[in-house]
Amino acid sequence: MSNLRHIKKGPKRTDGALIVTGRANFTGDISLPEMLFGKILRSPYPHARIKEINTEKAKKLEGVKGVITGKDIGYRRFSFIDTPAFPADQTALAVDKVRFMGEGVAAVAAISEDIAATALDLIEVEYEELPPVFDPEEAMKDGAPAVHGTIEPNTTTAWEDFGVPSTKSRPYKAVNNISNRNLIEYGDIEKGFADADYLKEDRFEIPSTAHMAMEPHVAVASYQPTGKLDVWLTHMGFEHKRFWLAKLLDIPISRVRVHKTYVGGAFGGKISIFPYEFIAAYLSRLTLKPLKITLTREEVFCVCPPSRRMIVYLKTGVKKDGTITAQQVKVIDDVGAYRRSSPTALYLAHVFRNPIYNIPNLRHEGYGVYTNKLYTTAKRGHGLQQMVFAVESQLDMICDELGLDKVEMRLKNFRKKGDILPNGDKLRSYGLPECLKEAAEKIGWKEKYGKKKFRGLGIGTASMFSGAHNFPFASAAMIRLNQDGRMILYTGQTEFGNGIDTVMAQIAAEVLDCPLDYMVVNSGDSEVSPHDIGNWLSGGVFVSGEAVRRAALDLKDQMLQHAAAGLDIPFEDLAIRDGWIIPSSDESRKLSFSDISRYGIQMAGGDPLIGKGYSKCVPEVYFWKGKFNKTASLSSGKGRFTEAYGLTLAIAEVEVNPDTGEVEIVEIVLADDCGTPINVKFVEGQIMSQAVMGIGDVFYEEVRIKNGIVMNPNLLEYRVPTANDIPKITSILVDSYEPNGPFGAKEVGESPRAAAISAIANAICNAIGERIYNLPMTGDRVMEALRSKKP
Amino acid sequence: MKRSVLLRVNGEKHEVLIKPNRTLLEVLRDELLLTGAKEACGLGECGACTVLVDGKPVNSCITLAMEAEGKEIETIEGLSTGGKLHPLQEAFIDHHAFQCGFCTPGTIMSAKAFLKRSPEPTKEGIRDAISGNICRCTGYENAVDAILDTAMETEK
Repeated sequence: MSNLRHIKKGPKRTDGALIVTGRANFTGDISLPEMLFGKILRSPYPHARIKEINTEKAKKLEGVKGVITGKDIGYRRFSFIDTPAFPADQTALAVDKVRFMGEGVAAVAAISEDIAATALDLIEVEYEELPPVFDPEEAMKDGAPAVHGTIEPNTTTAWEDFGVPSTKSRPYKAVNNISNRNLIEYGDIEKGFADADYLKEDRFEIPSTAHMAMEPHVAVASYQPTGKLDVWLTHMGFEHKRFWLAKLLDIPISRVRVHKTYVGGAFGGKISIFPYEFIAAYLSRLTLKPLKITLTREEVFCVCPPSRRMIVYLKTGVKKDGTITAQQVKVIDDVGAYRRSSPTALYLAHVFRNPIYNIPNLRHEGYGVYTNKLYTTAKRGHGLQQMVFAVESQLDMICDELGLDKVEMRLKNFRKKGDILPNGDKLRSYGLPECLKEAAEKIGWKEKYGKKKFRGLGIGTASMFSGAHNFPFASAAMIRLNQDGRMILYTGQTEFGNGIDTVMAQIAAEVLDCPLDYMVVNSGDSEVSPHDIGNWLSGGVFVSGEAVRRAALDLKDQMLQHAAAGLDIPFEDLAIRDGWIIPSSDESRKLSFSDISRYGIQMAGGDPLIGKGYSKCVPEVYFWKGKFNKTASLSSGKGRFTEAYGLTLAIAEVEVNPDTGEVEIVEIVLADDCGTPINVKFVEGQIMSQAVMGIGDVFYEEVRIKNGIVMNPNLLEYRVPTANDIPKITSILVDSYEPNGPFGAKEVGESPRAAAISAIANAICNAIGERIYNLPMTGDRVMEALRSKKP
Repeated sequence: MKRSVLLRVNGEKHEVLIKPNRTLLEVLRDELLLTGAKEACGLGECGACTVLVDGKPVNSCITLAMEAEGKEIETIEGLSTGGKLHPLQEAFIDHHAFQCGFCTPGTIMSAKAFLKRSPEPTKEGIRDAISGNICRCTGYENAVDAILDTAMETEK
């Protein structure tokens, strides 16, 4: 591993010149001949029955090419996570009733956005208002207004389409607004609490925060008269998009082409399918014209799902020496109007934390609860930061009360390399203890802790999967040798800021020992790239990168076979070095990559030399035609989940002004174990990015909803960190070398955020000597906590 | 009622027939097909639409195209000349100063205007200058370094 050419280095983005010249094509930049524009009419009520919609006047307006309602498009329900037990619950436009303010009720296609907007005003909707319910704990009570009735499945899930045996979708009746639930248990919780010397019980509440990707949600759809749909989307992987678009239009998946676009940030907020994308596709087919729908920033804030709102009840038992004996968790996920990924989030809230602490006795129950509010979804660390905030806050309180050192207490309870987790996952690489030691050393924990009034130190932890056996299950890649000796690499990964094109080129060029610019990367085009797990399972490098590595190995093998035949030299005597194929016996007979391509065409019957590779996360899980090896259960937590976990440890130091409640971050140190960093600069960029996002999460970010109305749907009222808000942030890379990852790599794109949030939050509470149980920790909340302290 | 407006963009004259309420951003993107400047908020709060008008950075999403008539408009597309990237563009690549890149054209234009008026900037000055350009990916520091580096290179 010592002679790495591209890996563990920091090459520049291969597509950088496109970005800095404004030439990178984002979806909003796409303009097609005869393109129409779509707009969506939205509900002014959080909960109401739709009695009648009259679209006649709108249809007659000059320039309007089509008007649709839920009666047209609502025949197919969809979701992000639909399982046979939890069938899809959402339609692109409301059919019988609206369940949150801003839900779409009708849509217009017109020759301009202005005309489409005018047409919306001409649509008459008669509503009958229904009593809404906003508080999830109220919604769970008997007699609360029911957000949903019985949800009848009206399509099969991806799992069923892939042949999961004997789990047919079944109707779901939402009793007491429970949208979904899970219960994960191991050990003996009662015995665990009985063994404890000290018990601590608390309630934490974490609000929704916006992803605030700079690029607003936008879709361009072009349905061809041949029965094919072309789409340009702002997204995180094409498989979900084409799966659902095909289901909606009842066309084969292969007839949906998701084109390559640059994606202006996602952070979990652009996974799966959204109503406006369905509507764009449907209107394009209706009018047989290309059509674009661009949501305004206000629409993105009000109708696109932000992160999950969670209430966490937490009870932990510890021995006097700080050993954790048991933990009981109850999570209430206020899902809003639609469930979307809640079954996953409630599972992830547990399983993402599983690699951090060894908790021998655990009970984790989760409830997704429907309310008449904007629905919610994944955001960078889906369910992790909410749980980590609760757990790390409580551990700090326990340490304070028992007089334990916060570093030592955590080190005592961390898992160990080689541990098998309760679900069967194995920690083949595990750098978390080292991360904590290095971060504590760097920030000067021992010298600084408790030394200065209104200064505080806090620790946050995080772990994150590296891909999972979720639809679309696996990734594949192809590398094609060209006659000039350069290669075209095809991957379904999507560039949304992660630098994935460069990373894939690094992996392939490392295997083939050639300059980086020998690789031309073609990414994110569903018609060109083989299947890919996408960029939302944190498996971009671990799973898709491994597929690329194997494709490069396959191509290398083919090249050497041809070289052996062409030179009449044994295969074993050939090696690739610095872009040449070199016989060890006689270096003067070396061949270029170009020579091999021409050999394939002239001497090997026209062989194009295409390497292929594929990789499946958790290969032991499968199902096909009755053969079935069980996948992870979201409901019970049993079963294998992932092959490797990335880990982050953050320590923050803050100073609080006791007169104003103002908090200044002195420094944040983040030590991250992502295995081998394929691109050091990109890994540092991911860490920095998430530390800064975490600053927003702790200090000011919250999608404030009052009576169903989003109160701050713009950047003046929803503040995000600016260039003036950046403290000293130090990242430490702890390379634990993951044996199953490509060149030892695992994930880094999601875990640092959760660690940063908890570290800063704990540092603030340490500085003021009071606990704050809610995020964000605004100046008002800090002041309130300071005042409550005084006798 | 549409009216004819003469805009000078990246040194070239363009006559466009537009409604008086069209923003400069709309005209640049939809009429002149200069899509480097982006709309991210539409309210002048994020800086993704930053272009220079007579050398000063403006949020083109809240500037009427008519207001820019007769003025010198510069967009990201005009920055590289003679087939070569502008030093700021080079520095942004070298410093890995972008991730998704949606805010990058706007940030680079703000930086260009800033370096013109402050050729020997401090880090604080740079942070201030791009504080109206929101970036959700990078955490800003690499962009600050890229801009500082450009200033130091130019001085040499």
